[in-house]
Amino acid sequence: MSGATATLAGHGGSVSSRYEDSSATREPTWVKWTLVTISLSFFSFFLLLPLFAVFTEALRKGWDVYWAALVEPDALSAIKLTLIAAAIAVPLNLVFGVAAAWSISKFQFPGKQFLITLIDLPFSVSPVVAGLIYVLIFGRQGWIGGWLMDHDIKILFAIPGIVLATTFVTFPFIARELIPLMEAQGKEEEEASIVLGATGLQTFWHVTLPNIKWGLIYGVILCNARAMGEFGAVSVVSGHIRGETNTMPLHVEILYNEYQFAAAFAVASLLALLALLTLAVKTFVEWQAGKSNNQSDKEE
Amino acid sequence: MSIQVKNINKRFGDFVALDNVSLDFPTGELTALLGPSGCGKTTLLRVIAGLEFADSGNVLLEGEDASDTHVRERNVGFVFQHYALFRHMNVFDNVAYGLRMKPRKTRPAETEIKRKVHDLLNLVQLDWLADRFPSQLSGGQRQRIALARALAVEPRVLLLDEPFGALDAKVRKELRQWLRRLHDELHVTSIFVTHDQEEALEVSDRVVLMNHGKVEQIGTAQQVVETPATPFVSEFLDLRDHGPEWLIAAKLRHRGFELKQATTDRSAA
Amino acid sequence: MKSTFTRALISLSLIAGLVASASAQTSLLNVSYDPTRELYQEFNPAFAKYWKAKTGEDVAFKASHGGSGKQARAVIDGLEADVVTLALGGDIDAIADKGLIAPDWQKRLPHNAAPYSSTIVFLVRKGNPKGIKDWGDLIKPGVEIITPNPKTSGGARWNYLAAWGYAKQLKGGTDATAQEFVKKLFANVKVLDSGARGSTTTFVERGIGDVLLAWENEAYLSVKELGPDKFEIVTPSLSILAEPSVSVVDKVVDKKGTRKVATAYLEYLYTPEGQDIAGRNYYRPTDKKVAAKYASQLGKVNLITIENFGGWANVAKVHFSDGGTFDQIYANK
Repeated sequence: MSGATATLAGHGGSVSSRYEDSSATREPTWVKWTLVTISLSFFSFFLLLPLFAVFTEALRKGWDVYWAALVEPDALSAIKLTLIAAAIAVPLNLVFGVAAAWSISKFQFPGKQFLITLIDLPFSVSPVVAGLIYVLIFGRQGWIGGWLMDHDIKILFAIPGIVLATTFVTFPFIARELIPLMEAQGKEEEEASIVLGATGLQTFWHVTLPNIKWGLIYGVILCNARAMGEFGAVSVVSGHIRGETNTMPLHVEILYNEYQFAAAFAVASLLALLALLTLAVKTFVEWQAGKSNNQSDKEE
Repeated sequence: MSIQVKNINKRFGDFVALDNVSLDFPTGELTALLGPSGCGKTTLLRVIAGLEFADSGNVLLEGEDASDTHVRERNVGFVFQHYALFRHMNVFDNVAYGLRMKPRKTRPAETEIKRKVHDLLNLVQLDWLADRFPSQLSGGQRQRIALARALAVEPRVLLLDEPFGALDAKVRKELRQWLRRLHDELHVTSIFVTHDQEEALEVSDRVVLMNHGKVEQIGTAQQVVETPATPFVSEFLDLRDHGPEWLIAAKLRHRGFELKQATTDRSAA
Repeated sequence: MKSTFTRALISLSLIAGLVASASAQTSLLNVSYDPTRELYQEFNPAFAKYWKAKTGEDVAFKASHGGSGKQARAVIDGLEADVVTLALGGDIDAIADKGLIAPDWQKRLPHNAAPYSSTIVFLVRKGNPKGIKDWGDLIKPGVEIITPNPKTSGGARWNYLAAWGYAKQLKGGTDATAQEFVKKLFANVKVLDSGARGSTTTFVERGIGDVLLAWENEAYLSVKELGPDKFEIVTPSLSILAEPSVSVVDKVVDKKGTRKVATAYLEYLYTPEGQDIAGRNYYRPTDKKVAAKYASQLGKVNLITIENFGGWANVAKVHFSDGGTFDQIYANK
């Protein structure tokens, strides 16, 4: 069980306190504090400072300018498009992620390793390459691009392309989160449910889903954060049409290049806020998952 | 209800789990499937339940061929070695699960479910734990809840996979006596899998000894102890290392057997 | 769980509604290169007003900006531009090669379809601490140059050619000495960005380098936006006449039925109003009268043209193809 949630709450208290309780694995105090200081200062410098800078820059010209930058039509359109892309990519990955995690952890089938590799592919491929793949497929010169043009179906340089690229780069998040969780949980509870007369759907809904709930939420949060923040792949397929195919990250770049620094940082601060929110929800989920994890730890 | 298995074969790759097994489990009896790990006893139990399908052979429930019946429709109660309680549900919801999952037509009213669950919890003497979650229970309590959950759907047969395997020695002894009494009360046809000869001999009406996917001997505790059919049986029952006192005092007192001196002598020889 | 799902469904259907409502009205997509953002931001409403007065039709604009070569690539790959207004004719040729634009596009509008021109100048830090006056000063040791990559940026190609042209017209100048000169120049390049705007940001915002080789309009805009107290413009003794070119994309306008308005849009660039807007945005108008009005605004400079190099097709082959002179210079750096 503890393996199951290690990915989720491994950095919670229980493991580390186990290390400290044992004299065999306990390090001298100075080692502990040196390590803590190094990592804390490293991360504050590289993460907190930029975050602080973003908000300072964004508010440099005051709240009015900040607000104006956010309600400007192109900015609103970018925010809307970002939300649309996330609102489609995340549910898609939710369904496919659960399906993939389910088949990998509960079934034996030829091509299983291949499927695992496929799921990891977006992690190992540069997002720019991911975008170019779609250009190769859907571009006018691409495999089916000509046919699409003839039938007036717009994919590349339009919302579908952006959604596709976003879905592609965020595909691993949910599946990757669930696979170790579901593998560690085994299938006894599902079997118990079936023996008791439940249908497959009932079993999924009442047994499987509640068991993977926290991992799933965690995966969705990460997936969403990445979906909204993706730059590389989206940049390639966007076409950068203002007010139409620019997402928030792209809009930030454009504003920055137009010397509208306050506006650029205002939109960037929205993304930063999203990151902070993600972090907060993530901490909450880990805390919740840690709680239920501790309970099951006690069993063993 | 009677259970019959006929010429069951099951392989996992090159490994032969069940080699042409045929058995009769008469109605109302409590049978132990006893053998070392890997002998095929759990596989046989899962084949009977419908959680595994045999490569060939038939499973007959009450004389009817159930080989192709889905586990959902076989109406068996199954108790898992590690209980497999639903960890996110409290004890009450765990026991009520099977009733609540029934199709709308046959599903009892919630008040009826409530009454039934409390009856079952009383039966396993754990009514006071209804609001607890599995993680808050001891191992023995969990196993009894798992049993209550299996009984809730009024199964025609009860299958228990190493029901006491994960418990410590003291709890095990208490629980298996309790299981025996429960069976005497309910008389539902039951099969339980164990690798512990003491447990098998003490609790069951009949013992089926298995090795390498084959049945070595079928008989009452007395029969298998007194006249082991094969060297494997006598070795596995461990009659040499444990003298007559052990057998008389610990194993068989409960079932009221008298052991003939000769048995012990022979096995000691 | 159930309610979350329901909510997801509702938001999905809302989104579908939003997407559906987004299309209506005639709209033109102008795919352009980096430094024209401000120009077309001013030009578009002016044309819309003119068009409304003339035909009573409303027209909306969409704009996409990026490195000129990259933008051409996007149009080739299917970005549905009604008009392209790119940094150099070569990029439009690339689109024409794929059959999206008629091969004679340069003949369809005056001045080789280049309604305004610009040139390459130097942007230096206030007080010109390195004393940079002309191309020759750029190859001195210790001078750090910022320019975009000629492989991806139209502006950078003009930079490269201007430097080449300068070296060649020196006494005893040949292609060999020019290549040597440009090689020394690129040895001094500190950061090679992919687009003109990226280079400007590197120089102006990040404070890297002593001199930025920039579009004239870009340099003037930087000084205007970021304060004359920080930067100075140095006009070299000789530079190149950079002709950003424009064309309708025939395939797209015929499909969308926007040829008439797209053509009028480009023609309007040549009218006194259009020329005036170009001048205001530090481009050099082709209209003589308007040009005179803005003459004092921009430095005097002797200009060579692309024809000195045998035209874009030749330049592309000799200098910027894989293994061309730029590759030779930069690979051996």
